[in-house]
Amino acid sequence: MSLIHLEDLSKVYRVGDQEIRALDQIDLRIEEGEFLSIIGSSGSGKSTLMHLLGCLDTPTSGRMEICGKDLAKASGDELAGVRNREIGFVFQAFNLLPKLDVVSNIALPLVYAGVPHAERLVRAKKAAADVGLGERLSNRPPQLSGGQCQRVAIARALVNNPRILFADEPTGNLDSATGRMILEMFDALHAAGKTIVLVTHDPAIAAHSRRVIEIRDGRITREYNP
Amino acid sequence: MNPLVAISIGLREISAHKFRTCLSMLGIVLGVSSLIATMALTRGIEDGTRKFMQQMGGLEFVSIVNKEPSSKKFEFANLSPGRTLRDAEALKQSANFLSHVSPEIFLSTAVATDGGGNPDRRMVRGVYPDHFVIGMHQIRAGRFLTPLDLERGSRSAVLGDSVAKQLWPDTPAELAVGKTILIDSRPFVVVGVLALYEMEAQARARKSGRSVSRRYDPFRQKNETVLIPFNTMFHELRSGAFPLDSLDTMKLETLTVRVDDLDHFQPALDQIRSILDITHRGVDDYDLETRQDWFDRMESSVRAARLSGGLISAISLVVGGIGIMNIMLASISERVREIGIRLAVGARQRDIFWQILIESVLVSFLGGLLGILASLGLIEILKSISPTENIPVLTLDAIFLAVGFAIAAGLFSGLYPAAKASSIDPITALRYE
Repeated sequence: MSLIHLEDLSKVYRVGDQEIRALDQIDLRIEEGEFLSIIGSSGSGKSTLMHLLGCLDTPTSGRMEICGKDLAKASGDELAGVRNREIGFVFQAFNLLPKLDVVSNIALPLVYAGVPHAERLVRAKKAAADVGLGERLSNRPPQLSGGQCQRVAIARALVNNPRILFADEPTGNLDSATGRMILEMFDALHAAGKTIVLVTHDPAIAAHSRRVIEIRDGRITREYNP
Repeated sequence: MNPLVAISIGLREISAHKFRTCLSMLGIVLGVSSLIATMALTRGIEDGTRKFMQQMGGLEFVSIVNKEPSSKKFEFANLSPGRTLRDAEALKQSANFLSHVSPEIFLSTAVATDGGGNPDRRMVRGVYPDHFVIGMHQIRAGRFLTPLDLERGSRSAVLGDSVAKQLWPDTPAELAVGKTILIDSRPFVVVGVLALYEMEAQARARKSGRSVSRRYDPFRQKNETVLIPFNTMFHELRSGAFPLDSLDTMKLETLTVRVDDLDHFQPALDQIRSILDITHRGVDDYDLETRQDWFDRMESSVRAARLSGGLISAISLVVGGIGIMNIMLASISERVREIGIRLAVGARQRDIFWQILIESVLVSFLGGLLGILASLGLIEILKSISPTENIPVLTLDAIFLAVGFAIAAGLFSGLYPAAKASSIDPITALRYE
């Protein structure tokens, strides 16, 4: 059974009288351990797909199964639970909380998983060490470089040991050398067996993955293995 | 989510915006402190009133007072002689549940010592010997007026402590007895001097040598009284002023009786009514005023004071609540992105709801604590300006009540912002700049 299974999935927005089909009858299977890229230009619907896969939004119609759960009509609490336990997010803009130090930022998902304080600290420190952030744990995001911020974000995404890692333009705000380092980190995670879904507009970055899906006007137009 | 986590997040938010939070707390601080201060103040007044009522004496006293006759008896009102000495004598003879009957007539007239000096205008009262009990008097020196004084219409006088002191500043009370004073130019012998009546606080102040507060002295009238036998007053002083009066028809200024036992208080009242209905020829131009009525009136005025104070505080608590709501709404729109991030990593809507609500309650609770501190200062100020008998009393339940109201204000004003925050869409929030 696939880890992610989309069937006939559509998302329609209404703007006034106009219907905008952001996603139009998408069929997609993603297996456990895959490293998949979704590419497309801006407005192609890739972000909408990403939000649906990331359980931040619900589809208008179609079937959506993630980790064996039918989530097409799931409640807010169910989606939150999946986001918390099964999914890790890495964003272009890092999306760290500037008021919290590195450890607290990494431990944030554990707060909502109900993990006790002491255990949160231990696990957050371990996750920090795994992404090569042994020091600077008491610093706050504004005091860190972009690469360090993204590593904090990756540590946060991984701290609750999710099955899927979503990355939305993870190198977009980084210089090319740092970006390469982050992508190498994804390679290592993939090698360790993590399922990774990377969203980007850049075919060169997508080339890091093993399978690329191209989206245009809400439909999957091409699929290839680089 | 663990509520402790929400509290620690809230505390961090508050400490990140100290000034702003303090400003928004101000309404709560004022509300809480004024509520506590009002309660302390009314409690002080209540205590003072109670103590005063105890000193003024018991429930067994009943005053017979004048009133307008009811409209259906209005035409016959002239038939009633009014409240006269005959009432007093009738009650004395026929009402067996009454232990004392004390009619009084007043005359405001000149009083001077036999040594001359400037005569003082004073209220002189013509009383029965029963007045000793009804007026709750104590004798410091000499004796009170006796039935013999009354019967003979003797020129005897009993002076209040202040009067004796003013007439003979350097003479102890014991030596004032036997001296002669002039009342309306007629010589009277001082047969007794009454004890000095004062509130506890005044006694304390006098003993420690501090100046005694003169602002409010419930016993002033009692200390400045000059008492002479009723009959003497009538024959010697009043008949000149009202030549047509006879002892039977002369209107009394006050008529007070004492019920011998509270167990038959109600029968005693009935007895008084049935006797007075005869003497007043069925005209209901009198009313019975018990101390209970009087105490109830005091209680209800204290209650009214407490209610109005509470209302003012409640208004400022509501205003404070609105202030908190305002600041929470501002805080949310600043933290849209933070809320989006929290939602993305797995926070449920209700986690966000509780977090905002707890923050709001925290602000109001801290405001409440500051309000307690402020109220301590406020009460000190009130203590320095309020009369000694009515010293404000800070009670624990006032503090709990005020803080409880503050928390409730925070809770209510946090509901809307919390609902608003928890309905934020995560995707929009994550894109929010």
